[in-house]
Amino acid sequence: MNQRDRVSAAAWLVVRDTHAAEDIFQNVALKAMTKEVRFENEGALLSWAFITARREGIDWLRRRKNEPAFLDEAILEQLEQEWVAERFGQDAGRSAALRDCIGELPAKSCDLLKRRYFDGYACEDVAQQLGIKLDAIYKRLSRLHHALKKCIETKLAQPAG
Amino acid sequence: MTSSEEENELLMRYLDGRLDPNDQARVAELLRDDAEARAFLRTVAEQAVVVADVQRIGQHKPQSAKIVAPEFRPWKWAVAAVAAFVLLVAFVIATTPPRHVAKVSTIIGPCQYIGADGKVQDELKAGTELKAGDTIRTRSSRAWVELSLDDGSVITVAGRSRLRLLNVQTRRGFQLAYGSLWATVVQRAGSQPISIQTPTATVEATTAQFDLEAHSLMSIVRVNDGSANVVRLADGQAADVIADYQAVVSLSRRQEFAVVSQPEPVNVWNCSLLAGRGAVFGKILPATAKQKSRLGAKPMLIGKKATIYAANFSVQCSRSAPVMIESGSRVRIRGTTRPGNPVYFGITTQRIKGGFFGKYICKIDAGALGQASEPWQIEMDLGHFGPVDGMEHLPDLPIGMELTDIWVFSKEERAELEIHRVEFLPKEIGQ
Repeated sequence: MNQRDRVSAAAWLVVRDTHAAEDIFQNVALKAMTKEVRFENEGALLSWAFITARREGIDWLRRRKNEPAFLDEAILEQLEQEWVAERFGQDAGRSAALRDCIGELPAKSCDLLKRRYFDGYACEDVAQQLGIKLDAIYKRLSRLHHALKKCIETKLAQPAG
Repeated sequence: MTSSEEENELLMRYLDGRLDPNDQARVAELLRDDAEARAFLRTVAEQAVVVADVQRIGQHKPQSAKIVAPEFRPWKWAVAAVAAFVLLVAFVIATTPPRHVAKVSTIIGPCQYIGADGKVQDELKAGTELKAGDTIRTRSSRAWVELSLDDGSVITVAGRSRLRLLNVQTRRGFQLAYGSLWATVVQRAGSQPISIQTPTATVEATTAQFDLEAHSLMSIVRVNDGSANVVRLADGQAADVIADYQAVVSLSRRQEFAVVSQPEPVNVWNCSLLAGRGAVFGKILPATAKQKSRLGAKPMLIGKKATIYAANFSVQCSRSAPVMIESGSRVRIRGTTRPGNPVYFGITTQRIKGGFFGKYICKIDAGALGQASEPWQIEMDLGHFGPVDGMEHLPDLPIGMELTDIWVFSKEERAELEIHRVEFLPKEIGQ
């Protein structure tokens, strides 16, 4: 997974809007480029980026008069730390693998993910649009995410070439 | 269904914002204790943003073009020319930066306007439009001016302050030479960020509520909502100050440039060491055998042939925590004056973690100040104060507000007003 996806994902956990998360990532990148402070290493930069993305996310919610998500900041911090730690693991190519896996999904599954994450519909709306029960939407999404995770792992386990 | 599947579905519901408080607590506990659940949540977040990214890229892929032979039709060329002209005009309008102006929406007390062309006006009216290069001065402790910007942002300057509109590229620039400012910056499509320069710092914000106090050697920025980027001019160090944090920006590099969280409010404050703690306007007088700390009132020209003699004490400059005004709070001030002259006491207030609120004043007649040249001590509860002229819409008492500063003045030079101690006290026990 590349850092851009990680920082955007961290912002998404706060704002739950993929387009806002992308804007936040771009703001963070701009700040990192114009900031006159130097970071000791990539880890320090990444930690700063996660914190800045989280704060921007909370500001974004406040500007829209939304209460920040109930997930407390300690848990968000823990998730961010795990993301930073994961950077040092064997995760090269995960981002490309995920994109490949999404490309290999059946059209129906792709459509469900698009409605939920790109169009930004709540699961209840998606359920109405597709004429299925809300519980089934949660189940399908949960299984789809799990399947994508497995697909990435399989692709990464295969020898290169 | 396995426990893990059930937990994953619970997380799906959480991300959909459809959990009751009990299940919310369950999710919090699950995420605190279970590394696998956290890993799944991170996976979902990553997949969500990548799904959106893949869709975005897909929508921007070039479509195959159908090539047709050109055919000359004069009416089409005419329509195309008009469309091109309209597009050009729209482009010019869209890319021309909006004029940086601010309209005076409220004005209380003596103020002065100095135009970019050097024209000076001692009378300023609500509705006056200020443009880049214009300066506005609030000239008295009780004065304040509220400026409205085109996008709904509001800037208030109060007390003895000087604000100039600057021509800064891609920013709506201001220079606060000295004094106090409260800004509520809102973001509207096309509006530029606000940039405020002080003698020691530059503060920039796109969406924020913050207050700023500027002096020649130090500025204090407190952000109550949103965030502001603060740059120390002495060495170019920069930091983002977010809501509930503050930065003290000194000209001296020996003073650390740090962003710290705003302390919790207190209900008591004193400014006994006048010269070093919080006296931001006044004349330091030599110590006497009886009195070590003495601050003399300084002349303040507030208009044509009108001078007052004032001293001002700022809570923020004294590095105190925010001071909250409660029912029963009292102001106690010790000083001396020549007999026969009334003294005016005032307080400036702001909303807790918010913008400017208002000013309250109290006049104490000479008779209440005791014997000639003997030090007096006046203790007033808030009931003695009332809103300054022009602010009668304010509640009688600023209960629940934050104390910004305390000011004392006399209208007569011969009063020889000097202040020895300033205190803000909580409700008396048993009151």
